[in-house]
Amino acid sequence: MLAVLLIVWFALPLVPLALWAFADRWSFPSAIPTVWGVDGLDAAIAAGGPAASGRSFLLGLTVALIATPIGALAARGLVAGWAPLPKILPVLLFAPVAIPPFAAVLGTNVLLLRAHVPPMLGLVVVLVAAAVPYTTFMLRTAYAAHDVGFEEEARTLGASAGQVLWRVHLPLMAPALARAAFLAFLVGWSDYLVTLIVGGGQFVTLPMITASLAAGIGNDSVVAVLSLTAVLPPLILLVLLARTGSHRRP
Amino acid sequence: MTSAIALRQITKRFIDHRPPALSGVNLDVLPGTCTALLGPSGSGKSTILRIIAGLEDPSGGRILLGGRDITDVLPEKRNVGLVFQRPLLFPHLSVIDNVAFADRAAGQTRRQARDRARPYLDMVQLGDLGDRGVGSLSGGQEQRVAIARALAAQPTILLLDEPFSALDATLRHEMHELLLRIRRELSPTILMVTHDRDEATVVADRIAVLENGQLLQHDTVDRVYHRPASLDVARLMGGENVVSGVVRGGVHHSGLGAVPVDESAEEGPGALVFRHESAGLIPGHASPAPAGALHATVVAVIRSGLRQRATVRVGTELLQVEVPGTMTVTAGDAVTIILPEQILWVVAT
Repeated sequence: MLAVLLIVWFALPLVPLALWAFADRWSFPSAIPTVWGVDGLDAAIAAGGPAASGRSFLLGLTVALIATPIGALAARGLVAGWAPLPKILPVLLFAPVAIPPFAAVLGTNVLLLRAHVPPMLGLVVVLVAAAVPYTTFMLRTAYAAHDVGFEEEARTLGASAGQVLWRVHLPLMAPALARAAFLAFLVGWSDYLVTLIVGGGQFVTLPMITASLAAGIGNDSVVAVLSLTAVLPPLILLVLLARTGSHRRP
Repeated sequence: MTSAIALRQITKRFIDHRPPALSGVNLDVLPGTCTALLGPSGSGKSTILRIIAGLEDPSGGRILLGGRDITDVLPEKRNVGLVFQRPLLFPHLSVIDNVAFADRAAGQTRRQARDRARPYLDMVQLGDLGDRGVGSLSGGQEQRVAIARALAAQPTILLLDEPFSALDATLRHEMHELLLRIRRELSPTILMVTHDRDEATVVADRIAVLENGQLLQHDTVDRVYHRPASLDVARLMGGENVVSGVVRGGVHHSGLGAVPVDESAEEGPGALVFRHESAGLIPGHASPAPAGALHATVVAVIRSGLRQRATVRVGTELLQVEVPGTMTVTAGDAVTIILPEQILWVVAT
């Protein structure tokens, strides 16, 4: 029952979006669109929606691929006690989340420009820095519960360090790594501010075209289509994650 | 004969841990034998196994396996099997793939590795559970799979770190029988950590007694029980009869009176020790007293299962004697305690 209520709670805001996405016209006070159609979809494609989605996906993926291993190393170091400054490090790692993003991004942007860091590289670096706290803290819990005995046993069975990583560590940590990667992906996928300021407007992502169209008037259906596009990939990933988490191989 | 395992002056210091976990341990284990490492918690038993397996580096000393110095060899190159108290079966692999792990790591195909794993799974009598997930196994089955997995790697030595201590008494008994069968069929060299004296007696040929990181004695089961090298060994082996006195001319003089002892006993101050399980007790004051007999009075009797433990007074000394449950003894009874010379041992003090 609670599960059903939760699903309704999360799905309810999406209902108007779904209706707007296929509304060519929706005049007040009609409860449902007055003219159904795919004008919004056409406009979204014309505005560069697919390419922007692809860029957002690429950005999310890049951030996830870099922030997850960094988070795993930091988490393992913190749990095992070999990370330097064990008291201060968590605070430093959490700093990007604690500082107001606008202040942090503007300050960082000046620094990156002075240092002649290419905008794309700067974008990835800043987003990875923003994602690492999430991956670290997510994985710290997982590593605290992880039994290194499995890896020791594998070593005595003749597995090299690489084989232990591939055959034991990664399969055991896969659910936690996937959850951490998902969070990191979301940081890149949904970012607007950093992409706009640090990326210097060269890299047009889905949130950027959605925001620019949302600022205009009469774009309700195209904004709805783009918003749904932004919601769906994380939702699909989340469902996949839940499935892999519950159907572990025997 | 070259020792299967030889430890030479092994020392281990952990940071913030004093005194050292191990100090100057020397140990030789002959091929095909089973040695039990016995000692209280924190005595360094498990550390010895981890050092032999390569999971800990010694702070000093050398480790030789079959005469080869492996002190600086990586754990995966040592060919040493290790079974922990926790079965540590890989949860993402099936039972058969757990047993096949070593062969897979060695580069064999999944099919080859599984074919080679099956006899080992049969040996631990779980041949029909190969396709199961490890989550569906009971505690005893998990430990059997863990042993099969270690054996399938065909290690030159097998290290067992209290592998049965988490199991109940019935399962533990079954596992002891399994271990004896494995010993008969494969004759592996086994070094097994345990804190259970009875377990050591059942499965091992020899016992190495450890305390505070020092090896106190390494000898046959019988000698460690009946010929302890020190009073510490006698205490750790559960010896309860320690009578202080002096040896003069092959006779131990104490509160018990004059008791003839083995002629190898050192002259001078020495404690007479003997096992409460080995002494005999007969009702009444036997007259004439047979050799090795002493008149005693029962002070207290405690029943434990089918056995009972009598505390008796001889002269000024209190002694412990185990008697059959069928014998009627009560406090105040006059009895005769029989101490044959071969069960007596003197530890110089």
